[in-house]
Amino acid sequence: MNRLLIGAMALALWVTPATAQSLDDLNIQIHGYATQGFVYSNQNNVFTTNSSNGSPAWTEAVMNVTALPTPKLRVGVQARYFLLGNFGNEIALDWADADYKVNDKFGVRFGKVKIPNNLFNETQDIDPSYMWALLPQSVYTLPDRNSMLSQYGGVVYGTVKIGENLGKVEYRGWGGNQIIAGSDGYWIALREAGMNLPNGLSGMDYGAALHWKTPLTGLMIGGSDIRRPAWSSPLTFEPAPGELLNGSMDVKAFNEWAVFGIYEKNKVMVAGEYNKLAPEILLSFPNLPIPFPVDKRQWYGMASYKVTGKLTAGIYDSQQINHALPLSTGPARSSKDWVASGRYDFSQFLYAKAEEHFIDGTDNYFDTGTNPNGIKPTTKLMVLKLGVSF
Amino acid sequence: MKKLLFVILLLAAASIFAVHARAQVIVIANPSVKANDISKSDLRDVFTGASTALPGGGNVVPILLKAGTVHEEFLQVFIGKNDSAYRAGWRSLVFSGQASMPKSLDGDAAVVEFVAHNAGAIGYIAKATPHEGVKVLTVK
Repeated sequence: MNRLLIGAMALALWVTPATAQSLDDLNIQIHGYATQGFVYSNQNNVFTTNSSNGSPAWTEAVMNVTALPTPKLRVGVQARYFLLGNFGNEIALDWADADYKVNDKFGVRFGKVKIPNNLFNETQDIDPSYMWALLPQSVYTLPDRNSMLSQYGGVVYGTVKIGENLGKVEYRGWGGNQIIAGSDGYWIALREAGMNLPNGLSGMDYGAALHWKTPLTGLMIGGSDIRRPAWSSPLTFEPAPGELLNGSMDVKAFNEWAVFGIYEKNKVMVAGEYNKLAPEILLSFPNLPIPFPVDKRQWYGMASYKVTGKLTAGIYDSQQINHALPLSTGPARSSKDWVASGRYDFSQFLYAKAEEHFIDGTDNYFDTGTNPNGIKPTTKLMVLKLGVSF
Repeated sequence: MKKLLFVILLLAAASIFAVHARAQVIVIANPSVKANDISKSDLRDVFTGASTALPGGGNVVPILLKAGTVHEEFLQVFIGKNDSAYRAGWRSLVFSGQASMPKSLDGDAAVVEFVAHNAGAIGYIAKATPHEGVKVLTVK
């Protein structure tokens, strides 16, 4: 499937007029950005870093090349270096696609494409494009992020006017093969419990999103839904050194939906999102089925204000509750995060961010490996970030 | 009372100045662009990457100024963003594989030159800049 899509992209490049076009004719562009983060926390270590002592173990660098062989066809590829705490530290293919836009009403993109679900999924990794050092972690969990960004498949998209004085609707529909590698941050908790997915977890998914750009300038209201058919993959478990059990991880078909809205006008931005994530997951070993209860409600509300041309300040409240866990699990079944944030743009290319988090609950941010003495119920976290883009 | 009148006069003068300032930026297009006028909403869509065509006017390609007062005024008056917010929006599109960054040129003369010689090009310049070979679009 992946080879087929890459082959189709190569074909798209080949069939474009190849009559000695200059680089300028092809409108080849190269862009990139790099960020260096610093995290400092009390009580608990976050994101598998040693943040209690202050940690710079959060580095990202991205570079892309795009070309416009014809006005309607764009092809491009983007690679990413990612390091967070004790995982990552590798270069991966972010996306590589060919995009044919017939007109504003219809376009199609295929290859390894960004998945346009939720409000910010397509852009959650693009640090220069937003003011926050960390997006609301209830919905955009940083260690889980990379495998959620893109997949091998296609997206159709367009914008349709829905009548005089009713605004426009942007639609996106997509389908493809999503792969969550065994080494991904998504599986930190599993790995620390002695389990591994040697082949990762992968399967088909498809979904749709609608964004209504209302007649009120700057206000967009939308929703998205992803359908993931049943996924299954081999799973190993090492309960004690030298003792290896072979089993499987099975995820029943489920939907993940979200509703969201954003208002942006002049110096003000206000946004909010709510989504539900409730897959049925079963970890199976011989005579040892282990249910993995997940029934999460996740939401946030955020607001920011441009204080000056270079300085932006904002706050958000991000919360999640796992209803599948009993009340007796206390702080482990939820996470609430109040955040105050600021961004300063030194120039078009250089910026800095500073953020303070007040975290209550342990359903996010923390792992047992870097918190061997137990996870405490509240944490304060400071995040500093320096970014450059071109 | 005198103070109130003074403040009102000051505000009136400021608003006149603002109108005057707004009149200093004009939107120009290659003669191949069929439209003679453009709504503020359509102009915003074209320059934020949300649209690549004008109603009845065919495909258009936005051309930017790299910096300067004309650029700042255009963004403020017609797009409703400052430069950092505006470029952040384009970075979202460029780094998510949804668009290519518009061409940015050094000055008004370069914008006129490019727009005049490239079908579908649309840009903005100071009203006082000579602009032979291009058409001026009225922003409604």
